[in-house]
Amino acid sequence: MKDSNFSKLQSLYSGQNDFRLREVTCGIPLKVVCLDSMCDDAKVSNFVLQPLTYVQDAKGLDDVQKRLTVGSGVRKPPNFYSIIEDFTNGYTLIFDDKDGCLSVDTRTAIGRSIAEPPTSMVMRGPREGFVEDMKVNLTLLRKRLKTPNLKTINLTVGKYTNTAVAVCYVEGIAEQSVVDTVVQRLQAVNIDGVLDSSYLARYLDVNKTALFRRVGTTEKPDIVVGKMLEGRIAVVVDGSPMVLTVPYLFVEDMQSPGDYYENSAMTTLSRVLRFISVIASVLLPALYVCLQVYNYQIIPLRFLITILNASEAIPFSPLTEMILVLIIFDILREANLRMPSAVGISLSLVGAIVLGDAAVQAGLLGAPAVMIGALSGIGLYTLPDNTLILSLLRLIVTLLGGLMGLLGVLISTLVLVIYLASLQDYKTPFLAPFAPDIPADRQDAVSQKPVPSMKKRPRSIPNVNDERRG
Amino acid sequence: MKNRVKVDQLALIYLLIITGGKFTSLPSLLAGDLGHDSWVSMCFSFLWDGVCLCFLLWAIKLNSKANLDISAILNRSVSKVVSKIVLAIFFVIFVLRTNILLTNCYQMFSVTFDVSTNWLVFILPIALLSFFAIQRGFNAIARASQLLFGIIFIALVALMVSPLMEADLAALAPVGEAGWGKILANSYTRSFWFSDYIFIYFVLDGVKVKKHVFTPILVSFGIGAALTVLINAVFVALFGSFAPDFSMAMSKIGVFSVANTTNGRWDWLTLAIWLLSVFIKMIVFIFCAYKCVEKILEKNFAKVNLFVALFITATLMLPMFVSTETLLSTFIVWALIPFTIVQYLLPLFMPLLTKVALKKTEVKHE
Amino acid sequence: MSNIKRVAILIVVVALVALVGESFNGSNILDRAIVLGIGIDATEDGLELTAEVVSPGNGTEQVGTFSKTVSVTARAIGEAMQRVAEKTGKEASLGQCVVLILGQDYYEQKDFSDTIEYFIKHDSFKESAVICCCEGTAKDLLNRGDALSQSVSLSVATALLDEAENVAIYTNNLLDFARSQSELHCTGFLNKVKFVPSENKDAQDPDKMQGFFSYSEMAIFRKNSYVCALNEEEVMGMALFFKDVTGDTYVCDDDGLLKTLKVNDKQIEQKLTDDGGMEINITLSVRFGRTDSEEVSGAITAKKDKEIAQKLLDDVQKQATELANKFLAKQAEYNFDLIKLHESYRRKQGTSSELANKPTADFPIKLTLKVEEN
Repeated sequence: MKDSNFSKLQSLYSGQNDFRLREVTCGIPLKVVCLDSMCDDAKVSNFVLQPLTYVQDAKGLDDVQKRLTVGSGVRKPPNFYSIIEDFTNGYTLIFDDKDGCLSVDTRTAIGRSIAEPPTSMVMRGPREGFVEDMKVNLTLLRKRLKTPNLKTINLTVGKYTNTAVAVCYVEGIAEQSVVDTVVQRLQAVNIDGVLDSSYLARYLDVNKTALFRRVGTTEKPDIVVGKMLEGRIAVVVDGSPMVLTVPYLFVEDMQSPGDYYENSAMTTLSRVLRFISVIASVLLPALYVCLQVYNYQIIPLRFLITILNASEAIPFSPLTEMILVLIIFDILREANLRMPSAVGISLSLVGAIVLGDAAVQAGLLGAPAVMIGALSGIGLYTLPDNTLILSLLRLIVTLLGGLMGLLGVLISTLVLVIYLASLQDYKTPFLAPFAPDIPADRQDAVSQKPVPSMKKRPRSIPNVNDERRG
Repeated sequence: MKNRVKVDQLALIYLLIITGGKFTSLPSLLAGDLGHDSWVSMCFSFLWDGVCLCFLLWAIKLNSKANLDISAILNRSVSKVVSKIVLAIFFVIFVLRTNILLTNCYQMFSVTFDVSTNWLVFILPIALLSFFAIQRGFNAIARASQLLFGIIFIALVALMVSPLMEADLAALAPVGEAGWGKILANSYTRSFWFSDYIFIYFVLDGVKVKKHVFTPILVSFGIGAALTVLINAVFVALFGSFAPDFSMAMSKIGVFSVANTTNGRWDWLTLAIWLLSVFIKMIVFIFCAYKCVEKILEKNFAKVNLFVALFITATLMLPMFVSTETLLSTFIVWALIPFTIVQYLLPLFMPLLTKVALKKTEVKHE
Repeated sequence: MSNIKRVAILIVVVALVALVGESFNGSNILDRAIVLGIGIDATEDGLELTAEVVSPGNGTEQVGTFSKTVSVTARAIGEAMQRVAEKTGKEASLGQCVVLILGQDYYEQKDFSDTIEYFIKHDSFKESAVICCCEGTAKDLLNRGDALSQSVSLSVATALLDEAENVAIYTNNLLDFARSQSELHCTGFLNKVKFVPSENKDAQDPDKMQGFFSYSEMAIFRKNSYVCALNEEEVMGMALFFKDVTGDTYVCDDDGLLKTLKVNDKQIEQKLTDDGGMEINITLSVRFGRTDSEEVSGAITAKKDKEIAQKLLDDVQKQATELANKFLAKQAEYNFDLIKLHESYRRKQGTSSELANKPTADFPIKLTLKVEEN
């Protein structure tokens, strides 16, 4: 039986220390194999070996499956590919002498315990976050969606990593064609390995040159469930605490996890502030420069005099000065991200204060420029998913504003708006519900209606049932 | 389909286009011709625009299922040769109107905003912007207009509030002092500036008709026309005998937004926002010019064709050789009759032509 | 994307940025002489222009308005502005200029049409800027900054724009004045600014001149040439004909006590009469004048009990009628038209040279003035 599944498996893992083989007889001769590093020893002993070694009247593999294996997840892998997949995922395999195979779920539960995700802390609302274990993540979803309509389609992606991926959706809400598109795109992925869900995000976004992120990511199960109830599809990837959601709208980046647990009026106010801060963050440095270089008339006289007084001794042109401020801010941010957390906060504070103050005192940078640069930099964080790209765009708009004045600012704004307006994926325009205007969806865009008033699901997300109550 | 457009999007673009280019040099030109009666001339122009628009909308309604484009309608109802001549005239109109808008913008930027540069460097970014928009499709332009509409409209209204309170509109009396014949004649000679609905011809095949066609577009036409007439009236009431001297109406009118002169010209920021509508107008006109070339060549380019783009960009260099004033007083006066035919007579026959074309299409299918 | 394509795109982008950077000519605010106010005086063969320009602090003093004046002589305004640029070494920028002051010699002796045309057609200069004339030279006036401890231009503009109409002084901006000089009857006015020195009680700096500006007189112009001046009483009389101008005070004798009544609202009705004149009905609403209690007035205010005796109201009516008549008499005598008699007839009959040349005295005016307690 040189070409049997067992011998193929054995030859593949020969010489591996964690490859365990145990031959048992329970009426028929069986070979039990598992990967020690992926299996829970207790499960292997209790669910597989103990029943098999205590009995001597087994009549065949079917009998073993029905009577002797205690584990809840027992199945017959249909082919060698599935055998390998189960084996590498921590299943224990039982081979008989006719090359029949059973796989028993003995996966180890080693991993991080459920905790509040650092990327989306909330004042109010659930604090559970996804972990790296897909099974736990699916449990977190099931816990919140106790309906048979929650469907998952399991896939394996990655030639070497064989990463388990689950496409989750609510049947009767999500549109099947969108689900099919997601599955098709995932099936078409041809990659060595998937180390995190963000790898797959690139494949779910068909337009690969897109500047903006068009696949939602979250670490919070309540958010995923909320989105699935609007017709979106979630993609859970084993090994990643980030769950992907599609379709994704630009406006989602302006919505914070806590928004749905606060008073809707306060949420609206916060969102308006986020909206203003993002626009100001991108445009303010450019306007500051182009008003100084070209349109000084627009600046109120007393403020103009203050700027003049502050920048009299500055050796740089307003454009160079602002670009310097923005780059310094980006350097500080990047350094802060990579610094160990023990020194991160203190060093970034010292960096910001000392550098900024010293630069102003030394007459290298003007105080208004530092203030505007800092304000703009902080404001970008109100759009956490797109901070980096907006930071880059801010530099470009500032450059064009400084070189071409208001003409540059207007043209770059229009290019950006037309570009964003042209983006569409999964039958969903990226800028919905504003462009195209979908009045019904404005209930949860910048302004938010109280939850009892939101009776319809968003039209911009394809769904087959627009009533929120069934 | 990237050139698909909904009726409400069409209505908003139309509103932006109406208000987009008429507050630059037109008010001073009209004031020079007719003094304080310039707004009456505008009223007459808009009246005729309204009539033509109704016929064009009727044609859209007829065409809503077949979604034939302008060249298909003309080819099937008249002939290929006539179709190409009409498209050529349209091309000239769009190029000239874009040139005039560009000249006005150039003047506004160099004079008002102190952004002075040479013509080539000025038009290049705008041409690039337009071709980028064409590449992304008319749908993207429509959505962008929809997104920017609110802020542009608020800017326009904000710009108008203070001058409106400042202006003594009673100074526009007596109405018709310039003479009704002269006013009517002026409406005709300045007709080149109007009939903004002509861009609709080039999205005929993309209009997604659901329920209403007439109401949204006529409402936006009404608002746009009323705003334009009002701003023109405020302009002549405010500036009186100096109105013909202020070739950039919009940049001057906002000066009265500033109660205390030390507040800075923040009205220019609203003016800059309004300028977005002028850019959108130019993008739409360049889109139409591009479509004209495509249809004349009987091609449908998947991506923006570099040669067509270069050709259109080259036509935008016209003001480097002929001044806009000369253009307006010579060529446009000579070409007024063919222009009037496609601007004002063609829409009247569009329902009939569409019907004939549809009938021929049905016969073909049978 | 192939590497060649990437490099090509990079080269094109860099070339475009370089081209754009080279082709657009911006000017840093530090390279501009930002003019706050302009004064023009006459010289024998032209004019002397004094500009108050912003003079930035030295980087550490970041708050406060620092300005200096620059005076140049030239034959025309354009040339003078050029000389300001030469003298300051910076481009003279008029976009933030808030006031234009004509010196006494200049406006009394010269036709300043070219000056008005220069500024009205100037792209940056705001048509809403204040224009006024002054007693003595504009140069002296603009150099009074030390006496006021603030920018002269800003204080003149603020006073005329914000405060004047609350103290019964009608004011003009550049556009209104320019229009008044070129349309129909071609007459208009400018407020006259006067520096009034006050006693210096500053022991630290006893030599420093101190004082304030007074705006209570006006000068009348026809086609940008001087006609006559209006004194304080005539200016008050003129203010009666403008609805938005209030704050005029009348002192009345109430059985030996002198009481001040202040106009805080006004209604004006004008009707053209069949004899080619105008009937003007003015109703003044008055209260006792109290400095810090600017009372809200008009139709939508809470009613108050009456506290002013009828004889005081009659006294105000008599004084106000006298002031109005003095103004009307001056208007008729010097043939200027500030209350828009000609304009009212133009709106009815259309423009004609006959109407434009009709003397103001030929418009019979029937004035009725009522005074009531607010």
